[in-house]
Amino acid sequence: MKKFLVILFVVSMFSLFFAQQLPPGIPRNETFIADNLTGRAANPGNFNIWATWVWNDRGIQNLLLEPLWCVEYATGEIINALAAEPPKYNSDFTELTIKLRKGVYWSDGVPFTADDLIYTIELVKNTPGMGYNSQMQQVKEIVKVDDYTVVIKLNAPNSRFHTYFLDRWGALRPLPKHIFEKVEDPLTFDFNPPVGTGPYVLKGYDPGGYWTLWERREDWDRTPTGMLYGMPQPKYVLFITYGGPEKQVLAMAQHQLDAADLTLEALKAVLSRVKTARAWRRNFPWTVNIDPCVTGLHFNTAKEPFNNPEVRWALTLAIDIVEYAANAFDGAVTLSPIHIPLTTAYYNWYFTKLEDWLKNFELDLGNGEKFKPYDPTAGFRLAEYAKKRGYPVPDNPELIKRIFGPGWWKYAPDVAAKLLEKNGFYRDKDGKWHLPNGELWKITITTGTNPAHPGYRNAFAAAQAWKKFGIDVTVQTTDAAATLDQRGEFEVSTDWPAAEPWGGHPDLFRTLEPFHSKYIRPIGENAPWGNYARWSNPEMDKIIDEIQQTTWGDTKKLIELGVEGLKLLVKEMPTIPTFNYPGVIAWDEYYWTNYPGAENMYAQPYHHWPNFKYMLPFLKPTGRK
Amino acid sequence: MNFVRRYLLPRLITYFLVIWVGITMIFFIPRFLPTDPVQQFINRLVAQGTYMDPKAIEEMTETLKELYGLKGSLWEQYINFWKRFLKGDFGPSYYQFPTPVIILIKQSLPWTAWLLLVTTLLSWIIGNILGGLAGYFSNRRWVKILDGIAMVIRPMPYYILALGLLILLAYIIPIFPIGGGFAIGMQFTFSWENLLILLKHAFLPALSLILIGVFIWFQAMKLVVQSVKSEDYVKYAKMGGIEEKRIVRRYVIRNAMLPQITGLALSLGQIFGGALITEIVFSYPGIGTLLYNAIFTGDYNLLMGVSTLSILLITTSILLIDLLYPLFDPRVRYR
Repeated sequence: MKKFLVILFVVSMFSLFFAQQLPPGIPRNETFIADNLTGRAANPGNFNIWATWVWNDRGIQNLLLEPLWCVEYATGEIINALAAEPPKYNSDFTELTIKLRKGVYWSDGVPFTADDLIYTIELVKNTPGMGYNSQMQQVKEIVKVDDYTVVIKLNAPNSRFHTYFLDRWGALRPLPKHIFEKVEDPLTFDFNPPVGTGPYVLKGYDPGGYWTLWERREDWDRTPTGMLYGMPQPKYVLFITYGGPEKQVLAMAQHQLDAADLTLEALKAVLSRVKTARAWRRNFPWTVNIDPCVTGLHFNTAKEPFNNPEVRWALTLAIDIVEYAANAFDGAVTLSPIHIPLTTAYYNWYFTKLEDWLKNFELDLGNGEKFKPYDPTAGFRLAEYAKKRGYPVPDNPELIKRIFGPGWWKYAPDVAAKLLEKNGFYRDKDGKWHLPNGELWKITITTGTNPAHPGYRNAFAAAQAWKKFGIDVTVQTTDAAATLDQRGEFEVSTDWPAAEPWGGHPDLFRTLEPFHSKYIRPIGENAPWGNYARWSNPEMDKIIDEIQQTTWGDTKKLIELGVEGLKLLVKEMPTIPTFNYPGVIAWDEYYWTNYPGAENMYAQPYHHWPNFKYMLPFLKPTGRK
Repeated sequence: MNFVRRYLLPRLITYFLVIWVGITMIFFIPRFLPTDPVQQFINRLVAQGTYMDPKAIEEMTETLKELYGLKGSLWEQYINFWKRFLKGDFGPSYYQFPTPVIILIKQSLPWTAWLLLVTTLLSWIIGNILGGLAGYFSNRRWVKILDGIAMVIRPMPYYILALGLLILLAYIIPIFPIGGGFAIGMQFTFSWENLLILLKHAFLPALSLILIGVFIWFQAMKLVVQSVKSEDYVKYAKMGGIEEKRIVRRYVIRNAMLPQITGLALSLGQIFGGALITEIVFSYPGIGTLLYNAIFTGDYNLLMGVSTLSILLITTSILLIDLLYPLFDPRVRYR
């Protein structure tokens, strides 16, 4: 017995030393390992994302399922995935015709047809608690024209109904009718093993929720991904939660993680320690600057003095954006003076069209004095800061504009003072600003508790800028920031300054609609996402209504209307856009190369986005074992 | 009969009162927090890009309130909660809707329970034995060495110790995995090989807990023993020529054990709360991260599920210790 125990101990120690990270039959060089952005799955055996939302980024949305359409913000296009062509509406937007791609099969060998789409919509519509249940109430009737054509009739005109099926980081994706129709309760159904139209199938998952392993389908060519882009290169894809950034750095250093979403500090650690690692941009500022979100500050325009646009402008001009960006992200950001992010597509659609207007835009300082606040050199000043910090910065002005931003607002504290004095504010002998009623001006900025998040960093950078200007500012960090924002129980907050646009289409309906006056709610009631500032304007209402009457295909008119909406937001400045969401992503090129970096922007760069499956066919194995 | 009336009954009344007050508090406290679970859910939906127009958000808010059981007055919700609770139902989790809370707990609890049970017992046993001996033989050299180690490890922030172990044994000398509870890509079935894999994944988190735990018990026990050994009855026993081993075992350690037994009962009761930092540092599956997420997302039902079971376990273990105490301490007697 004693001998047996000794042998058992030796064998176990041996296995401890030599155990492989991946099990036999799953070669590391045929496996792509990515971190799971949303972390450990609490219910890892559940793949029914139609009933639950969380953890769909562990391969469910990005490998297993295909949407009808998918936004590709790197190229600015909309990919027809399960749909064969763009959506078609009738003239009054009460009917939507969807043509489906032929030859697509579910992973269990059943063909994908119109019946699946019709069943999905009907099931979701009739099951409260399923995602998109409330949106699908707009459906009056669904007509099956043939196996690959569906006409959806709506209760009321809606020119954007198809966007519920348009994948960005979530959409109503068709589910397999032949599986769900046998299910008694679709809400509690686990959908395990899952069946999909995407190029991978489930190979295994961790009962503790830390990893999910996928295997490429033998018939990958019967999926939209295969048909559009060819065979995904990795035979296996593993999504894993190693834990915090320090664990991800350790895993990357051991080549146990190919792609990770990190903090800027962790990225710097990876780049300095792992010779084969890279970021989206190979040099400073490294960060992804084509993310379709712009970060910034919200004023609560339902509260004094933030109900006054001149006060909001004064606070904008009290910010030295270079110092601000340096404080927030060591300058590794792309500035955006307007309420949409500077992606390549938006640069062409909007920034170029607004540039002259921005240069000529004037503020009225009173007594006939005017001031042009736009600073087209802001991006260059930020580049100069980076150079001083010792980072390599290109000389090409066009490239500098694209990397650091085309411009921002001038740092003009003297002009800000004039605007405030015009409105009765005054400074005391210590340089502190007082409200018109004589009280010391105190501002509280509300933000979340994650120090790595741009919202958090915007809050502290703004506090520093406004303190320097002479305002007494405090930052309130709270896990309840989102709820407080929605209820309007804040003065200034750091949520997105406007709802995210699509990223891959010039339509700004999604960005502007929350500002419609019909959605304005008093303080204490939940405001719709995108308008915590509780700002509205009749002119904006008109623009939104007109966009709603414009077909998704009329991009020229959509851009014209979008430009007008953005101008109005600049004039009123209910929220301050500061810089693009700086996506901090690292890749290890030890096993795989040809990632879609800034120099090779064929796809969006995140592994957690649904379009990850469209990136995989382009990866190249290095041949390292 | 005297035992029931004067000893058992008051303790049982207190036991049920504490449970009722505790559960009532964890029902009301989250509801007074500014975090709104419905809004948190919708925020997560839209923040990552799911398209919901403002009208749809308003409609969904109403649907979710209905489904989450958050409609009606607080009193109505409270009554409904007790009705469900008495049937052993904590309702659905909000942040993993519509999965029942009890399933989430069932999935996470075994990981935490076995890790913490083993480490708590091991560190208690080792710490008390070492502490007991060190307290009695306090002038020996090995005691001074142990004291030195305790002085270094005991005040060390747990997070730093855990991370240090991880860097040392998973990165510099890569013997153990960086994280997780089970090997990647393996099937979770019972076999000796899988048991070894489980042990391998649990080793670092367990080591970190045992290291800290041992020295906490060690220092406490040593202090108590040092105090006990100067008691008159110990001196008297020595003078009476009783064998030293017997004095240590029967006279000193046995008496010094009393506060340690109470401490163990409390530690065992707290197992249900999970070891949050351990689970985060070692990405070890368990109830700690589940509870953290429940707080973070305003998942009242999950919060109540975990906390209620935690309250039940702690109060029950205290009750049991209270009832069993007379067996350990002859000075405690019910008349």
